[in-house]
Amino acid sequence: MPNRVSIRLDGEYIRATRGQTILEAARANGKFIPSLCAMKGLHPVGACRLCVVEVAGVGRLLPACTTAVQDGMSVTTASEKLRHYRRMILELLFAERNHVCAVCVSNGHCELQALAKRLGVTSVRYPYAFPRLEADLTHPRYVLDHNRCILCTRCVRVCSDVEGAYVWDIGARGVQSRLVCELNVPWGQSENCTSCGKCVQACPTGALAEKGFAAEEMTKRLEPIARLASSRGGRI
Amino acid sequence: MTPHRITDLAGFNTAREAGLAKLLPPRPRIAVGMGTCGSGNGAESVYHAFSDAIAGRGLGFALSRVGCFGCCAEEPLVNVWLPGKPLVILRRVQASDVPAILDDLAAGRVPEEIALAQIEEWDHITAHIKYGNGYPGIPSWDEVPFFKGQRKIVLRNCGLISPDDIEEYLAVGGYQGLYKVLMDGNPDAAIEQIKAAKLRGRGGAGYQTGIKWEMMRKARAERKFVICNADEGDPGAYMNRNEIESDPHALLEGMIIGGYVMGAEEGIIYVRAEYPLAVHRLQLAIEQARDYGILGDNVLGRGFRFHLQLVEGAGAFVCGEETALIRSLEGRAGRPTPRPPYPAESGLSGYPTTINNVETWYNVAPILVKGPAWFTETGSPKSPGTKVFSLVGKVQATGLVEMPLGTPLKTFIYDVGGGGIHGRNIKAVQTGGPSGGCIPQDMFDTPVDYETLAQIGSIMGSGGMVVMDEDNCMVDVARYFIEFTQSESCGKCVPCRVGLDKALYYLNKFTRGEATDRDLALLDELSRMVRDTSLCGLGQSAPNPVLTTMRHFMHEFEDHIRARRCRAGVCEELALSPCENSCPLHMNIPRYLQLLKEDRLEDAFLSVAIDNPLPASTGRVCQHPCENRCRRATRDESVNMREVHRYITDMAFELPGYAKLLERLAACRLPPTGKKIAVVGGGPTGLACAFYCALLGHEATIYDANPKAGGMLRYALPEYRLPKKVLDRELDIVWSVGVRFVGPVKVPGELSLNDLDAQYDAVFLAIGTWKESWVYLPGTELSGVRPALPFLEGVAKGETPALGSRVVVIGGGNAAIDSARTALRLGARVTIIYRRERKDMPAIPEETEAAEAEGAQIMFLAAPHRIVGNPDGGVQAIEVVKTRLGEYDASGRRRPVPTDEILRVECDSVILAVGETVDQDFAKASGLKITPKGLIEVNRYTLETSRPKFYAGGDLITGASNVSNAMGYGKKAARFMDEWLMGERRWERIFPVWEYDQTAPPRASASRRHVVTEIAPAERAQTFAEATRGLTAVEAMEEACRCLRCDVRNGHH
Amino acid sequence: MSKARVATVWLDGCSGCHMSLLDIDEAILALAKKADLVYGPLVDAQEFPEEVDITLVEGAVSSQDDLKLVQKIRRRTRLLVSLGDCAVTANVPSLRNSLRPHDLLQTMYVHRVDADPSLPGDGAPPLLRRAVPVHEVVPVDLHLPGCPPKPDAILLVLGEALEGRRPELAGKVVFG
Repeated sequence: MPNRVSIRLDGEYIRATRGQTILEAARANGKFIPSLCAMKGLHPVGACRLCVVEVAGVGRLLPACTTAVQDGMSVTTASEKLRHYRRMILELLFAERNHVCAVCVSNGHCELQALAKRLGVTSVRYPYAFPRLEADLTHPRYVLDHNRCILCTRCVRVCSDVEGAYVWDIGARGVQSRLVCELNVPWGQSENCTSCGKCVQACPTGALAEKGFAAEEMTKRLEPIARLASSRGGRI
Repeated sequence: MTPHRITDLAGFNTAREAGLAKLLPPRPRIAVGMGTCGSGNGAESVYHAFSDAIAGRGLGFALSRVGCFGCCAEEPLVNVWLPGKPLVILRRVQASDVPAILDDLAAGRVPEEIALAQIEEWDHITAHIKYGNGYPGIPSWDEVPFFKGQRKIVLRNCGLISPDDIEEYLAVGGYQGLYKVLMDGNPDAAIEQIKAAKLRGRGGAGYQTGIKWEMMRKARAERKFVICNADEGDPGAYMNRNEIESDPHALLEGMIIGGYVMGAEEGIIYVRAEYPLAVHRLQLAIEQARDYGILGDNVLGRGFRFHLQLVEGAGAFVCGEETALIRSLEGRAGRPTPRPPYPAESGLSGYPTTINNVETWYNVAPILVKGPAWFTETGSPKSPGTKVFSLVGKVQATGLVEMPLGTPLKTFIYDVGGGGIHGRNIKAVQTGGPSGGCIPQDMFDTPVDYETLAQIGSIMGSGGMVVMDEDNCMVDVARYFIEFTQSESCGKCVPCRVGLDKALYYLNKFTRGEATDRDLALLDELSRMVRDTSLCGLGQSAPNPVLTTMRHFMHEFEDHIRARRCRAGVCEELALSPCENSCPLHMNIPRYLQLLKEDRLEDAFLSVAIDNPLPASTGRVCQHPCENRCRRATRDESVNMREVHRYITDMAFELPGYAKLLERLAACRLPPTGKKIAVVGGGPTGLACAFYCALLGHEATIYDANPKAGGMLRYALPEYRLPKKVLDRELDIVWSVGVRFVGPVKVPGELSLNDLDAQYDAVFLAIGTWKESWVYLPGTELSGVRPALPFLEGVAKGETPALGSRVVVIGGGNAAIDSARTALRLGARVTIIYRRERKDMPAIPEETEAAEAEGAQIMFLAAPHRIVGNPDGGVQAIEVVKTRLGEYDASGRRRPVPTDEILRVECDSVILAVGETVDQDFAKASGLKITPKGLIEVNRYTLETSRPKFYAGGDLITGASNVSNAMGYGKKAARFMDEWLMGERRWERIFPVWEYDQTAPPRASASRRHVVTEIAPAERAQTFAEATRGLTAVEAMEEACRCLRCDVRNGHH
Repeated sequence: MSKARVATVWLDGCSGCHMSLLDIDEAILALAKKADLVYGPLVDAQEFPEEVDITLVEGAVSSQDDLKLVQKIRRRTRLLVSLGDCAVTANVPSLRNSLRPHDLLQTMYVHRVDADPSLPGDGAPPLLRRAVPVHEVVPVDLHLPGCPPKPDAILLVLGEALEGRRPELAGKVVFG
């Protein structure tokens, strides 16, 4: 079987490698498909649903991050319906928790915020839930602020797949879902945490941050994690 | 039971014979249905009563526990069998019945009076059992409506064999399929058979089982798993529980066969921990199967190794999704993962895995024993076989029913289920649980199969079927299911986690009456997004209940927004009480009952009159929808609310201070607005409208074609139902607030609509339906044939039409009964001809009974054929065709179908009372938009017509209805005309506030409802004097005390 | 041609959006030729006038007074613009939403105060249970997010709206 395949992305032919996902192939070719939970170096989970695309001949929408390319596949990445749905998903994320960007360490460097701008969100049509959420300040170097968590599980995956420490997981279910440290202990009491900071770097928002930064000061670096993952045979 | 390991055919047959000896012993056998359902209804104590009594009396009968035969409405079920006789199923057996049953059996009899059905022989599919013959007095099981049409393949053994005894399963051909497959030693051929049978996954998605198995067989791996998904979690669905509780070995057999043909040596049953009895019986079954060599390292001595393990799920709904189920088995949180990879490639711990639903496994052995051709004989071409449904909700007979796929919904609901409870109209059926959709009553012809249900937005799902009637609010139904899926969402993907939460927010807003059109649009858009983008089946299907209710019941959503009304009376914030909600005038019924109870007659009268300006008439002739919804009826009988307000009004008329009371009423008037409103038609609709217009401060003038006000109340209702002096007295209520009456004047005619347009600020049209519908019938031109309304009007005006001595009335509505009773009073003998059954008659039942008591004959299921004339051009007789009941029609009633039988009824007159319609000449002349049915078209929320300034209500927009409905429209029109004229909502300002006790009665001790005293039929039929005497003071007071005060809210205590 | 009537209003916010409005510098002169400022913190009118063409609302809806005012504004305004993050998302004022108003006031005016601790008395407008974005209480025609919105964006909105066009902001402004 040939290792190279070609697919059509919004009408344009691009080359891809067998085994790649649509999202990986698109990114490798400089094409933009929005996503928040997908991250280079981590196994995809298809949770945020922002990367859903239309594939010719398939009746339903498919997530680009978990759908493998097939030779001759024709993919539409930005139909009116997709744009509409993606805006709705972003708005739901904003309405779910208390993303008060003005006072966030990641303001200006946040993937959620950047996508909202890029996808043309100017307001949230849904009522804000304003849940009462805690911030975990028990770790000496880092902060977990549930108000800003979008449950993308990048931290969970980077900690298990790359660091191998298995500190993070998701507890409870539905809208009650929360990022939990080990068996729901304060981060500062974690026995497994190596304080490597990969989760902080992987976090797309200000939910995980380093202490000592004021609003707008925290920037994240994803590249080293991707390099580390690939050197260990992880997904590219 | 001494286990003996089966290693060859001889051993197999020995175990089988042992089982047969238990099933058909040489002595009487009693088997108690002890599924969770039976036990919940007292089967445990029944079993122990039998056990004690048999031992105590030394009877030596065989006694055993069996599962459930499916007829939940009749639990507990007990099977009794006398050697050589049919098996008899007894219903609703209580421990106290036991001695008598044993007496009967000891005497060689069965208690026929509690027998549900008898079974002479039974097709276990894998075997045939002959019980015996006899008992002509007991219906055969397949003659009982609930079972008629059922085809028991999956449920082949349920309720007939002991689930705790592997030998009984062997006796009815159990493990024969497994034995055959192992002997054949050709797994590919077995998979071909499953494929040829086109067996589809019974968990809901309907994927071809054979294809899935083939994929799994081809997968190469060191370990493979077969899994049974018994994580049944849909509200209202319990078929899997019952199947396992009643026949666990059939599941084991299916799985062992599956393991063998797919090359898996390990099987797992994932069952809900909430099903303890199912878990217990499965454990026992697995142990027995091991002991008999059916599970283990050498299955049936054929060298095949298969081990089965039971895992209890913690009850998360999402674990029914196969990838989440696998995660749960792996010891992780039950959250779905994207497919592909499919479990057949990479499932449990990365090994190839096949997951099938309980019911899918149950179909395996029958297909392999009987062959695919046999299987495809049942069901539809694309969906062969049967499916078990749990039929629950608002039908008379609930339970588990196994029907061929492709059976139309109406068969389930009307034939098997027996139709609505208490004669209520069925509105919809919800299939497929929280992932399914609601199918409206007018689509009950839909065949139940995978494709058709999907086309109309629902799914088969696991087979839940929840029937809903007019007491179910479809908005609340959607809210209920979203509340369920919202709380069961695993939270992994955003659309399902947050989207369902917001959908629930909007639906809650609807049920509180706070939603807007924008919310409706947002909910629709959101539901589609969640459906299209969610990760797993839970999120993808969760919006189905919303989308289908919005598609089929949009008017209910609109009612919640625009009228802030919940017709079903479910949404508490939108209704005061069930009676108020169902009253077309929305009278505050609990208030006047309470005021009377507090001995405040004057306040009670004002409370009644401000809500309903014709309380004496409606107190006598209203159809009282309030009483049909009264919650007291669930305790003993509904409160006689109508007669209490008749009493209050009649007493108030007699008060010396009555005039003063009317002044108090008039004081509720708002200051004059200077606006003038014309009301065309002085019937109940027009009178109600004018009354409220006047109260709102407008100048209200009624124009009527008759010299006096009252419309049908005066000119169609017979004197014996509503004496004219009562009507005149109560009209003072309307006049007291300043309403002006002008008549007789013809509109249009003497006064045109344009004249009214020019002279008035708003016009309300309420001329009613004075045109009698005519039927095409040979002989209607004869001189003795007359329509009902002119007949009644003539009598009301004092004429005495020559009817002759025998009169036939055609029709079943109130006009028919009024005509019949009037004719009786004119000295005729009367026969009423009605084409449907008694329960289908639209007339008030009390009126029908009164007519019969007075001597009227009613001929049901008879349709007029022709009227036979005499030589003078008069009537000699009428010929009627007997009808029989056919299929259910769109109204949920069975359609009368003519037979060949023709009867002749001699008579001198025929009165046609087949309905009234709007005068088409008026409708056309009005220049207003007309509906296809010839009614005036209005906005159903505001009653505006197509012409600005003109409103219409009552029979003119609905067709012939009844007095309270008509008045309801008049009242509503006044409110919306005022809002339109004044630019603001002023409605609430006219209603005074009363302080009265706000506590509910601590308990409701049983007490019979008081009814009016009827004058003896022989006496009353001679005269037009009022036929009933109202409640006495004590009776009215006691009746008021029977109210349960549904209007009292928490927090008032 | 008569001049357009423009109003601005300052609800629960920091006035930063108004500062940003002033930061359009000399461009304000061109606007002044086309529009009159009829109400707002920058002018002296006491009562919100009738028949306003454009109203820029800064701040979240936080008190009973805010609610009444914004409802009145909606009735009297053709184009209602939510100006800045507090109006669009409730932003910083919403940080108090997880606390009940009474507990909030207790904390801020009693527990954490040394001198003369007492709850705000008459005259202080009662707080709503939550501070909410403007569009949760009245329909909003245009959202201009930003904390504060950039002067250019404000100028774009005013310029286009005064020409009777609907400004397209999607992708041009930062949200959140």
